[in-house]
Amino acid sequence: MLFSSISFLYYFLPVALVLYFAVPGRFKNTILLLVSLVFYAWGEPKYILLMLVSILVGFFAGILIGHCAGQSRAKQILILAAGIHLLLLAFFKYGNFLITNWNAVTQSSVPLLQVALPIGISFYTFQILSYEIDVYRGKVPAQRNLISLAAYVAMFPQLIAGPIVRYADMERELAARTLSTENFALGIRRFVLGLSKKILLANVLGELCDTFQASGDKSVLFYWLFALSYTLQIYFDFSGYSDMAIGLGRILGFRFEENFNYPYMAKSITEFWRRWHISLGSFFRDYVYIPLGGNRVSKARWFFNILVVWMLTGLWHGASWNFVFWGLFFAVFLMAEKIWLSKHLEKSRILCHVYVMLTVIVSFVIFYGTDFGEVRDCLGGMMGFLGIPFVSKEFLYYLKSYGIVLLLGMAGATPLPQMVTKKLKESLRGEKAVNILEPVALIGLLLLNTAYLVDSSFNPFLYFRF
Amino acid sequence: MAEKTKNQVVTAVSILFFLTICIWIWVKKPVDYSDSERRELAQLPELSWDTAISGELMEEFDSYSVDQFPMRDAFRSLKAFFVFDVLRQRDNNGIYLKDGYASKLEYPIQESSLDRAADRFSYLYDKYLAGTESRVYFSIIPDKNYFLAAESGYPALDYDLLMDRMKEKTEFMTYIDLTETLTLQNYYRTDTHWRQETLIPAAKKLAAGMDVELTGEYEVKTLDQPFYGVYCGQAALPIEPDTLAYLTNEILETCVVYDYENDRTCPVYDMEKAYGKDPYEMFLSGSLPLVTITNPVAETDRELILFRDSFGSSMAPLLVSGYRKITLVDIRYLHPDLLERYIEFDGQDVLFLYSTLVLNHSETLK
Repeated sequence: MLFSSISFLYYFLPVALVLYFAVPGRFKNTILLLVSLVFYAWGEPKYILLMLVSILVGFFAGILIGHCAGQSRAKQILILAAGIHLLLLAFFKYGNFLITNWNAVTQSSVPLLQVALPIGISFYTFQILSYEIDVYRGKVPAQRNLISLAAYVAMFPQLIAGPIVRYADMERELAARTLSTENFALGIRRFVLGLSKKILLANVLGELCDTFQASGDKSVLFYWLFALSYTLQIYFDFSGYSDMAIGLGRILGFRFEENFNYPYMAKSITEFWRRWHISLGSFFRDYVYIPLGGNRVSKARWFFNILVVWMLTGLWHGASWNFVFWGLFFAVFLMAEKIWLSKHLEKSRILCHVYVMLTVIVSFVIFYGTDFGEVRDCLGGMMGFLGIPFVSKEFLYYLKSYGIVLLLGMAGATPLPQMVTKKLKESLRGEKAVNILEPVALIGLLLLNTAYLVDSSFNPFLYFRF
Repeated sequence: MAEKTKNQVVTAVSILFFLTICIWIWVKKPVDYSDSERRELAQLPELSWDTAISGELMEEFDSYSVDQFPMRDAFRSLKAFFVFDVLRQRDNNGIYLKDGYASKLEYPIQESSLDRAADRFSYLYDKYLAGTESRVYFSIIPDKNYFLAAESGYPALDYDLLMDRMKEKTEFMTYIDLTETLTLQNYYRTDTHWRQETLIPAAKKLAAGMDVELTGEYEVKTLDQPFYGVYCGQAALPIEPDTLAYLTNEILETCVVYDYENDRTCPVYDMEKAYGKDPYEMFLSGSLPLVTITNPVAETDRELILFRDSFGSSMAPLLVSGYRKITLVDIRYLHPDLLERYIEFDGQDVLFLYSTLVLNHSETLK
């Protein structure tokens, strides 16, 4: 089920919240689990068993690892359990990718698997892995209540598109959490903000990208307009989803870590990745990069570690060489920054932003492409290598038509709106105005989002592919 | 303290909002048909194990929840208002408004579609017309965008390219150019189609091209209700409605229209349809695969076979005075192979009259 759908907003969510708030505290995890299973089954009825199997493996592995703490057996259990999770992920997500490549290399014709990618498998697999590893490391005790662990893994706000919430961060709240009007108000505000990012910006910019793809009147500037729009779309799509997840979590009494921190304000690619999909970056840092030795190794090994992490980051996003290339593309810049680039970038703030945005825009062109040919054509179009005009009528039309949306998108990707609100709140009158306008704006945005949903069919989130 | 109060207000207002909508959804009775969108609305799906496991149930429920949302039209209008007046976007779902006209963006040229249309026409020609004495003509009806889009800065088809390509691919037919007889005023402001009461010059151009003389005067009659064309609903904005007029005379009133699909005779102008969901369907009762108009007072034995789309429904009555019989064939609804059961091709005039909209989306042609 999509957050940005009428069925979620006006059928599922109200019923789920009424049930959740109506039952006494000790039953809240049970209700949370039940409604989360309904939520998952709504979009993926066949694969709900797969998720339950993963949860059961995680549950028993956690208990056994905890039981054998300090013994070599704990490691064996961890390897076995992690192996099961990764095998399931590999089978469903990477099976056809492996077969396709095998067939290409060996000239054989192994038939492809007739399986669809289970929604959210990358997210919940990583969450269970983080739980098992943290129990092994002794960071958290094993969870002995199956419902609590299942509620953590299957929790609907973050189940299908993240953020990747660590068990260690949720352990206390799974046992006891605060429900308050403050949490509800902050949560609903964050949710509506995220919903608006998704529907009013990401989806609208997505239309522009689709229009570009269908256009027969492409030009160099139209290619750039597309690349910029997609860069903004993917940010608002994914950060919007994270906002909704964080908001819903807050309403339910959970505090999820932030997943985005104005990534397009970064002054280097290193900083960009500290601000973009923070939960994924920190997962790879803590569970892959540091165990490989991080940067406390020889330079060659350090670069090897970086390449491994970024190849995996690319692969996590999708089973395609495009994504591997995308990950390695970033690895090259990260290594370059570590060796010498950072020193030069520090000299000019403007140059830093230009460098980051150009790199990020090009990276998302690679990300968008379904194959290398498409990426080559798009980058060639942007650089004027395709023999197309510099400017076209369609470009001018869509620039005019989407001008305000693009400006709103660019401003919304910076801390500007937050700064303006903060500035307003500095005066007593301004604070009063903000306080009065906030509920009005909230309802206005809900109505507007509903209007967009009613007018169109629902739009799947980009990150559901992963 | 102010923060606490604000949070309480936000919580209360949000709960009230969701509660109101939820109650409204529960008490609202489902509607079968949307007049503004001219389509059946999704209904509550029946629960079954198979549809639930396949996910079909959920998909159908999602459609139902959107289609049956309270005040659906008002919400669509809110979105259209926001798109046009706040975001200043130039079209909403491809519909744009210019000088009081609503139209839908139609581009880019689908060259494969043009080729397919030409292939279908060639197939008909080879199967039924090649080697016969039939005189075969072809004419393209430019859609409203031809006069409105490009000059208003909207993306438009390259109409010259479209027409040249179609002419090149259909050299076995004599082309009759209608563009000089048409202007924007020949089209409804709120609908795709052309206005029959303005089509006499175009009809004369077609007739002249086919070496036929049209006779008689017409009386203009107007429906006593406003005509909300298809774009009214799609635009979801208040647009001044059109008036729907039609041309009639004694000849047309004596004509007999036979509808093969329903095995019935009907009038040239179907008044039941005129007051139905799509008043434009009053012209020869709308979308029918095979219809004949017989002119009992014709002073000629000439017959016309008109391969056509919906634009042809309002044009055909204006050609009646030049023929004893006009057979209208819509190959979107009737496969060409079945035609030999109904028509004997033996020297009639044959006119392929198609709008650019159908040519650019010829996947509908059988």
